[in-house]
Amino acid sequence: MTSFVSKLNLEDFSLWKKIEDHRVPLDFYLEITARCNNNCRHCFINLPEGDVEAQNKELTLAEISDIADQAVELGTMWCLLTGGEPLLREDFFEIYLALKKKGLLLSLFTNACLVTEEHIAFFKKYPPQYIEVSVYGISEEVYERVTRKPGSYANFRHGLDLLFESGIKIKLKTMALRSNFNELSEIAKFCREHSDSTFRFDPLLHLRYDQDPLRNNQIRQERLTSDEIVAIEKADEERSMALQNNCAHFIFSDNYRVDDDFLFHCGAGKSSFTVSYDGFFRLCFGLWHPDTIYNLRNGTLEEAWNHHIPKIRNIRSTNPEFLRICQNCPIVNLCLNCPAHAYLETGSMDAVVPYFCQVAHARATALEEAIKEKG
Amino acid sequence: MNEISVKNIYMCSEDVVAREIEGELIIVPLVAGIGDMDDELFTLNETGKLIWDCLDGKTSLLDIIENIQREYNADTDLIEEDVLGLVGELVRRGILIDKSTP
Ligand code: SF4
Ligand code: SF4
Repeated sequence: MTSFVSKLNLEDFSLWKKIEDHRVPLDFYLEITARCNNNCRHCFINLPEGDVEAQNKELTLAEISDIADQAVELGTMWCLLTGGEPLLREDFFEIYLALKKKGLLLSLFTNACLVTEEHIAFFKKYPPQYIEVSVYGISEEVYERVTRKPGSYANFRHGLDLLFESGIKIKLKTMALRSNFNELSEIAKFCREHSDSTFRFDPLLHLRYDQDPLRNNQIRQERLTSDEIVAIEKADEERSMALQNNCAHFIFSDNYRVDDDFLFHCGAGKSSFTVSYDGFFRLCFGLWHPDTIYNLRNGTLEEAWNHHIPKIRNIRSTNPEFLRICQNCPIVNLCLNCPAHAYLETGSMDAVVPYFCQVAHARATALEEAIKEKG
Repeated sequence: MNEISVKNIYMCSEDVVAREIEGELIIVPLVAGIGDMDDELFTLNETGKLIWDCLDGKTSLLDIIENIQREYNADTDLIEEDVLGLVGELVRRGILIDKSTP
């Protein structure tokens, strides 16, 4: 007997072929709040839990639902709920369910501290694709050095245990910080032992979206040196293999040279977008330059996707120094520089950022050595 | 068990969401327990999609079969076999429900 129904295999789904020649916003990040119960030293977004002004600016359930309707209309399949700490929203369950009922496949970023039995029962009934939890430390001392919130470690471990027991798919990640540097290898070990999905850590600390100078200084203090980053990447076998396999054929060769002066060579605005807690559409989650954002409260997602993005992707660099140094850079694939990051660092989307340059060159040297060693 | 009757009216369960992206039908479970795995999605083949579009929660299978027969001028027995096959499969998976049973 023939079968009419089949399990959809996302890897060879006929949709991908259909959308090869045009842009479809397949997924988006939705920051439902900028507020957080923690106060991490390195955080680029968090505002205090009780910040009434920030709370008043948050998209309402009705606004979120409307944006999601527009996204679904444009073909969106996935939505990642993030923050701040998304579980701080009193209407979190309503938001989650409203999005889910539109047929969106949901995932969640959380620090796990606020997870209760009630959340677990809810997620078991309405499963997310996965829940990703940040592990800033696996000792009270280190975790709370990062979060600056007494008692947060106990809450984190409790929430995490509840999540582990629930059988929901959990992904773990960490940030490599000055404050947890000495514990990083144990954090990595803990994450690998407790989660099947690939653990990842991020060495790049974004500067603040609100450009708060005091907080930016604190973030800079948390940054590791280029040598330290390379040392962790080397020690972290999985990651250094990935770097070698992906990058070796890109670097030390001429094949990445670009001979145009367009600012964007990345995937920003090709298949995903981000919405801020107060309704600003961004091409990617770090891109905050005022010329590139679009207020969804005064417009439509269709306008943002189909008319705003092409204008942004057409922006060209006019900075001769940037064009001379970065445009033809052979190790650009190892570099953290991009229009979003450059803007957060310098206020301009086309700038050479010395810290990024150091990290990229240190990575290149390490790679070269690794490749030589292997023969 | 789930006897599929042509006299019955079937409709999409509230436990799933069906959506179309660029003409591709995707059936997304809302609650756990629809697929074997929680993140399983479903799609239908061409014949399945054609029949699916007729399952509006108002028309009985008998009328659907008749409508398809008229439109495509195909053999009624074959259409009935396809419709019953599809509906049976969808009911078994919890994607369709019989509107007459509470
Ligand atoms: S838990 Fe996350 S959102 Fe909250 S302060 Fe820390 S890094 Fe920021
Ligand atoms: S910042 Fe340095 S490493 Fe990065 S692209 Fe520019 S020249 Fe290359």
